[in-house]
Amino acid sequence: MISRSRAVLAAVLVAGLSAVIALPMISDAQTEVRTFVTHNGAIVKTSGDVLDPLYTPSTVEFDPDEFLRNFEYGRVSISETGQTVRDFTIIARDDLIQEVSPGVFYNVWTFNGTVPGPTLRATEGDLLRINFINNGSKAHTIHFHGIHPAGMDGVFEPVGSGGRFVYEFEAGPVGVHPYHCHIMPLEEHIVHGLYGMFIVDPREGREPADEMVMVLNGLDTDFDGENNFYAANTIPFYYQHHPIQIDAGDLVRIYVANMVEFDPINNFHLHGNLYKYYPTGTDVVPSFYTDMITLSQTERGIMEFTYEHPGKYLFHAHKVEFSEKGWVGIFLVRGDGGEGYGS
Amino acid sequence: MEARSRGRAVAGGIVPLVLVAVLLAYMLGPGSEMLRLGVPLPEISIERVDFVGSEILATVRNTGPVPVDVALADVNDRIQPAAVEPDRHLERLESALVRIPFEWNVAEPYAIGITTDDGTRFEKMVDAAAPATRPTWDLAAFFALVGTFVGVVPVVIGMLWLPFLRGMSSARYHFFLALTAGLLLFLAIDATEEALDISRNDLAGAFNGALLVATAIALSFLALYYSGERLAGRTGPAAAGLMISVGIGLHNFGEGLAIGAAIGIGSLAFGTFLIVGFTLHNVTEGLAIAASVSRRRPALPVLAALAMIAGAPAILGAWTGGFAYSPMASAIFLGVGAGAILQVVLVVLRWIRNEGGRFSSPSVTLGLASGMLVMYLTSILV
Repeated sequence: MISRSRAVLAAVLVAGLSAVIALPMISDAQTEVRTFVTHNGAIVKTSGDVLDPLYTPSTVEFDPDEFLRNFEYGRVSISETGQTVRDFTIIARDDLIQEVSPGVFYNVWTFNGTVPGPTLRATEGDLLRINFINNGSKAHTIHFHGIHPAGMDGVFEPVGSGGRFVYEFEAGPVGVHPYHCHIMPLEEHIVHGLYGMFIVDPREGREPADEMVMVLNGLDTDFDGENNFYAANTIPFYYQHHPIQIDAGDLVRIYVANMVEFDPINNFHLHGNLYKYYPTGTDVVPSFYTDMITLSQTERGIMEFTYEHPGKYLFHAHKVEFSEKGWVGIFLVRGDGGEGYGS
Repeated sequence: MEARSRGRAVAGGIVPLVLVAVLLAYMLGPGSEMLRLGVPLPEISIERVDFVGSEILATVRNTGPVPVDVALADVNDRIQPAAVEPDRHLERLESALVRIPFEWNVAEPYAIGITTDDGTRFEKMVDAAAPATRPTWDLAAFFALVGTFVGVVPVVIGMLWLPFLRGMSSARYHFFLALTAGLLLFLAIDATEEALDISRNDLAGAFNGALLVATAIALSFLALYYSGERLAGRTGPAAAGLMISVGIGLHNFGEGLAIGAAIGIGSLAFGTFLIVGFTLHNVTEGLAIAASVSRRRPALPVLAALAMIAGAPAILGAWTGGFAYSPMASAIFLGVGAGAILQVVLVVLRWIRNEGGRFSSPSVTLGLASGMLVMYLTSILV
């Protein structure tokens, strides 16, 4: 009798354990049917969740639309000698986790809370004072490309956790320059997001235009030395599902910098148009009239173009691997009288 | 008094269980902070990839220590819109189907990537895309034919040695019994190796593949040992032939699985090769059954039943392998087969001793050695 009851007990235990192991495998089924569109335009129905970085609304904390046309001019004052002085405050952090693509969370290292950092803008000859505060756990610096004294180069003066430093120099030369952290291992500090753009305008100014900033970058979310995502302004596919609206006949000026790590080149191809290209933006005469420019690390320049015909135009890396991993967007050109494509 | 002492015995059995439950509750509850060492890394396994119509279907399972969310799918490292059913959230060991609409090309290699919420990308390489087999009557009939060729036909041919084995001298008979043991020993090792192979290549680390195989072997050995003793007590020595047939049947089920899976994943040439090899290889299995029953005079229906028990599972195996391949089920079946065969080896060796044979005798030693060697040589064909 006892042996039988023990056998029953053992059987109950085995059955119970199996149930505990098997239960999580049985998931609660959903009945709601969702649809999504494939790259080829096919419509697919599913009872499950849709994994679609193109058309899934994401809750990213960083807004590429806002970043696109935002320029920071600093707190402006005039010195005793009549020089324009621009004060900026930049705070570095390395503890933020942000949703960089729908459902993908990544530890970004930031200047002022975003990747890329703020776009700083000044006029040639202005005195710049950048108050740098390192609120990160590691040492960081800001290294500006451009002309400045050696002690302001942000290489040999690491700013430790909780430290401060004031970078002070005259804005120059005219053009578009990147800035980035210069602490070793350099690749790690850059690829996590510690970079941004610094624009120096000529004293006489440039022709009025619809101006925007595109920092071309990549994200290595699994730390294997290869980028999992590419983008203009960090968020993959963002400007594809949020087309950039411009007006036909308007001059558009894009300040472009390539901050992609790991891959030796990146490029910028524009559909249905060609642009005038000013390498590094240091000259007022364009060097090229083309629809395709190749950029190596920290190569940058200014692109100017005007669309005649309203409609949707793609722009993307013609290294199509990058575009299929997020570096692709659309210009939505509105016609005269504000009548845009599809409006 | 009786009831009281029994109550005490039951309590004695339950108290440690209760304490273990309390300990677990503490470690998972209030004590979990204390045990939080290191960073748990999420992990998923892409268990299988099917190519259907204009979709690629990836079955993913959470084989890591923490729940994960599936965030992205890609083909050849290019991000693709996809669906995940039933939902993107995977608890430990939960699995989901990722449907990636994709116009794939036959026979081209594809890397299927799945990225989880922490940005880690997991990849499964498929050497050559082939349309997934759908269970049709034609294919089922084809698998049945293949299973018959691999399992039933060679076993029957092997059993035709029965008249030859009858009436031979005891030393010669011991040789053939030992030969049978040698053949079976080889099959057991073969099945074990195959099971370990599958568990290593296709089974997520979380399932402890090697231990799963070892457990399957041990349990199957014990189960057959136990039932074999019962059976022998009831029906006399005729049970040995049945035990051998069952053992070989389980083994042939494993071979059917291998062939069905090979055809199922589209490597048909590999499947053809396997069929030829297994057919030749399995003639020896008929010999093993014949040797075990040759000292009795079994009726023809009994012999036919033994042949079917040994051979027909190859058909079942081919269906299972071709239509519902699962690496875990395969590893378990192969392990069960190995355990069953090892038990039969034990039965045969004990039988030789009961017949008055000795392991050190030339016929037995030679028989065992020849069995292994014959199997090795025919296995080269597979």
